[in-house]
This record gives sequence, structure tokens and C-alpha cells, in this order.
Amino acid sequence: MIPAYPGFSFLAVLVVIGLELWVLRTGIFRQKAYWIAMAVIFAFQIPVDGWMTKLSAPIVVYNPEVLSGWRWPLDIPTEEFLYAWAMLTLVILLWERAGPSESGEERRRRAGRLLRR
Amino acid sequence: MDRYQYLILMGLCLVLTLPLEFLFGARVWRRPRRLLTALVPTAAIFIVWDVIAVARGHWGFNPRYTTGWNILPDFPIDEVMFFVAVPICALLTLEAVRNVLARFGKEDA
Repeated sequence: MIPAYPGFSFLAVLVVIGLELWVLRTGIFRQKAYWIAMAVIFAFQIPVDGWMTKLSAPIVVYNPEVLSGWRWPLDIPTEEFLYAWAMLTLVILLWERAGPSESGEERRRRAGRLLRR
Repeated sequence: MDRYQYLILMGLCLVLTLPLEFLFGARVWRRPRRLLTALVPTAAIFIVWDVIAVARGHWGFNPRYTTGWNILPDFPIDEVMFFVAVPICALLTLEAVRNVLARFGKEDA
């Protein structure tokens, strides 16, 4: 039996992938920006989630029976990255769906005022 | 002060990502209707999952580091703030990355 937390997190990942491929079709998985953003998000997840799950003074306390048993990096239950991927990809899919994305050209025009070198 | 730890951590996530909105031009906070359209269903689904998991004893929140302002048994408002703050941080990151790619790269992000 797969423990509940990794099991349902993996299921959530599959549901979100299915939602994109067969329903929403935003094309987000083909965008470099999405994958870079997810890498940045995971990097920042480590200190925040690490703080929340540290075994010495946890904010969130897990029943060991529902966990895979892998706690890495820090004391983070590793399946938490599947959970986070599903949740944050879902919000990004709905964000894409809810509004038109600016083209690179529009962004560059606007970026004239921003991010000056 | 300890009991505000979770809430403060979520507040810090929102404060520390604010520069993405204003220095990197993310325009997430400034499109509130679009933000809510993405955020509300996502938060709702994950809060339902969370409430069920807490009720079944899969995980819980340390009373020492949470406010105890419970909206359901053993379910503090702090945890709702998690499902508000973290997705907003993610959207800010995505839009900021797009702007950086558009600014410094040639291709359409």
C-alpha cells in the first residue's frame, strides 16, 4: 500500500497533467518561463517548507503512517514537492486560462521602464 | 509571539515577493479579478483536501506555533492563509521570470 500523502500527491500531479493536456491546453508545459519559475519556486520552498516541517519545532506535524518516510531536503517530506507542483501548476493553469498572456514584444516595450541594466 | 509564527511566515512570503510586482513588473496584485479566478478554485480544492486530511488525522498544526483562531476543529485560519499566500508567490514568480526573459532574451517567453 502506498501511504496516503505521497499517493494522493502523485494522483494530484496526474490530474493536473491531464487537465492541461485534455481540457485547458494552455501550452504552459512548452514554455521555458514556466519551468524556470518552477525551479525558482522549489528553491524557495526549501527554506519556507523546511521551517514549517523541521522536526525540532514543527508548525505542521505529520502522522508518520501517511508519509513515504523520505524526509529530504532538511526535514521536508519529499512528497511535499509533488503536492506543491500540483497546487502551483493548477493555479498557474487557471491564471493562464483567465487572461491573455502578453507577447514578448509587449513585455519588452513595458520592460523599457523596468529592470534597467 | 510563538503562536503567530505560521501567520508571520505567510506574511513574510507575501512581503518578500512584493518586489516582483513592483520592480519586476509582475502585475499579479494589479489584476485582482484574474488573480481571484485562479486563486479561489485552487485554494478551495486544496483546503477541502486539507480539511479531510486533518479530520482523518493525517496531519495537524502545532498549537504552539499557530494562532488557534480555528475556522473548523483543529483548523486555524493560518492554514487558509497558506493557500492564499503560496499560490500568489508562485504567480508573481512566473510573471517576473517572463519579464526577465523578455527583457534579456530575444525569444517570446
